[in-house]
Amino acid sequence: MAANKQQGSYFGLFLVGATVLCSGFAYYDSGTGKALLGLGALGIVGSMLGYMGIKPLEGMTAMKPGSGGMKLVGAAVAILGWLLTLAGIHITDSAGGRIIFALLGIAVSLVGILYILPAAFNKNALWKGEAASQRTGMTAAKTTMEHSR
Amino acid sequence: MKKILRNSCLALCIFALALGLGVLAHAQTAATPAAPAAAPAPVAATPADAELKDAAGKAPATADLAKGDPGGSFTGTINDVPAADPKAGVTIPDVANQVGQNKIAVNFVWTLVCGFLVMFMQAGFAMVESGLCRVKNANHTYMMNFFVYTCGLFAYWLVGFAIQMGGAAGNSNLGGLQPLASEHTLSLFGKTWGLFGQSGYLLAGHSYDVGVMVIFLFEMVFMDTALTIVTGACAERWKFATFAVSSVIMGALTYPLFGNWAWGAGWLSQLGSNAGLGKGYCDFAGSGVVHAVGGITALAVSMIVGPRIGKFNRDGSANPIIGHDISAVLIGCFILAFGWFGFNPGSTLGASANGNLRIGTIAVDTMLAGCTGTLGAILYMWMLKGKPDASMSGNGLLAGLVAITAPSGFVSAPNSCIIGLIAGVLVCVSVSFIENVLKVDDPVGAISVHGAGGLWGVLSVGLFADGTSNYGGSWNGVTGSVTGLFYGDASQLAAQLIGISTLIGFVFTLSFVINLVLEYFMGQRVSAETELAGLDIPEMGQLGYPEFVFRPEPAYSGD
Repeated sequence: MAANKQQGSYFGLFLVGATVLCSGFAYYDSGTGKALLGLGALGIVGSMLGYMGIKPLEGMTAMKPGSGGMKLVGAAVAILGWLLTLAGIHITDSAGGRIIFALLGIAVSLVGILYILPAAFNKNALWKGEAASQRTGMTAAKTTMEHSR
Repeated sequence: MKKILRNSCLALCIFALALGLGVLAHAQTAATPAAPAAAPAPVAATPADAELKDAAGKAPATADLAKGDPGGSFTGTINDVPAADPKAGVTIPDVANQVGQNKIAVNFVWTLVCGFLVMFMQAGFAMVESGLCRVKNANHTYMMNFFVYTCGLFAYWLVGFAIQMGGAAGNSNLGGLQPLASEHTLSLFGKTWGLFGQSGYLLAGHSYDVGVMVIFLFEMVFMDTALTIVTGACAERWKFATFAVSSVIMGALTYPLFGNWAWGAGWLSQLGSNAGLGKGYCDFAGSGVVHAVGGITALAVSMIVGPRIGKFNRDGSANPIIGHDISAVLIGCFILAFGWFGFNPGSTLGASANGNLRIGTIAVDTMLAGCTGTLGAILYMWMLKGKPDASMSGNGLLAGLVAITAPSGFVSAPNSCIIGLIAGVLVCVSVSFIENVLKVDDPVGAISVHGAGGLWGVLSVGLFADGTSNYGGSWNGVTGSVTGLFYGDASQLAAQLIGISTLIGFVFTLSFVINLVLEYFMGQRVSAETELAGLDIPEMGQLGYPEFVFRPEPAYSGD
């Protein structure tokens, strides 16, 4: 099952929820604004729950679950680098010192993004499975040809 | 039971939509313009007024104009200047008002036309991305590029514009933009830092203003450019429903937030006035705000979506998956290069006054960086791989353009050539690194072109800005011209690095977490069955090229 009516309905609900939510933000000072905010949030949550309900019907993806904890660690390290850069603005007044802090922060963030996260995602990557990639790759090529014809 | 539930949902949608529209109608009512200010008190006639009267008397009469004006010598005279008091004729204040309005009119037209050019870039992106994908996914890829325009525009109108530009009042090029004067701030270390804008929701209320509409259109097409970058990196396996929701959230939150920090009176732009770092974070036309945000989000989402089936072998080596239409790719690149003349020169937000005559330099810088970007990529591929690869040549052109986007307003022509050349080589190295080291599958090279190229562009401001630009004598509220390290100001480099750190650390993490949540609720990727069949039929219900027939060439007989 790919795209279907339910997906379309839930997307519609998401858009309506977002519209009402933003109207609530715009008029937050009024009672109506707060009510709209709550109603809009309900609409968005409803659409997400709806999507979650139909997710199992959509078939297996070519993905194996990676390491969830490592993914969060990667994201945390990335944000830590940014915080280090921000700290540098306060810690030192010199341009050179702030450049060093910013470079350190960038390096820390890159460790999270370019080292920890790829390791987390590739730990159980499908292509690492037993000749699976070659098999599926051939199937993919075959399917392309079939479509072409 | 399901039918009842669905009907209930539908009823709720209609009810909520009606409420939303009701609020809008209320907002429109509230936006009734105030009565115009009283006309200025009449002033005593001066010698200048007498001269104006004389000029009005000498201007061609209606009967003269009725004979036609083939040389254009008589059209547009003092008689075309509206007089506040027709009996008194045109006065000096009338002329001054007309001059002021002409300045704003020129700037409005300039900004709008440049915005239209940037909007046309969507067509270029669609052609580049679809051309680099396989024919079985052509419809899906085109549709993502088409629909992202709608998703982004809707989200930006709802809330994104308010977050980004809600505190951006004070731009004299567009008449001051005074309705956008509400920035949420945070006091930290004895300074006040802008966090996000708070006015302009739904373009209702006081933001029903001619200047606000111009800046909305211009900023909106920039935002959509960032969104469409992600569709390329995740092409051929991204579930359409998840793409749509993800794009709405990016247009509503991720992009506008960084956009506010850089362009909307946010804390990055205040690094100069609050922390003494050059002129604050400077990103003239959006190497960081638009391209790096798009490229970095593309990296986050493509990590979550995972590589296409068959992209990597068991040993980790990558298989090339060739796109179906190189002509679409290269024509798309030309469309993008054309649109870039709106992107960069248009970012002056005006052609009249405040140093805006620099638009010629900006346009030439843009052109040259695209040229040297192409040269860099072609030479790299030709010398190291043996062929002047067409798709990498296109990516080199785009990388050069992406890189010059931030510095285009501050650098000389020779420096723009250097920036473009480095970007062209960088994109080739980056494509290889992302594919072979990170094992991230990016079918079109979007992460490298926009992410790596965008970050290089932001950095290059801190190195190459030559201190000759003069946009009204200050930038980000700091007097003087933007000057980089090579021209004597190391503190500008510090501001740019803080911007880069924010892009890598904050924007990446925000995009990553949002899309991880969507992965949990919706799933980001289509099923393996759908992926193998091609996304056109299962996701879109129609092939991109239903009559596409592959006919092998007959064998060469030698006769």
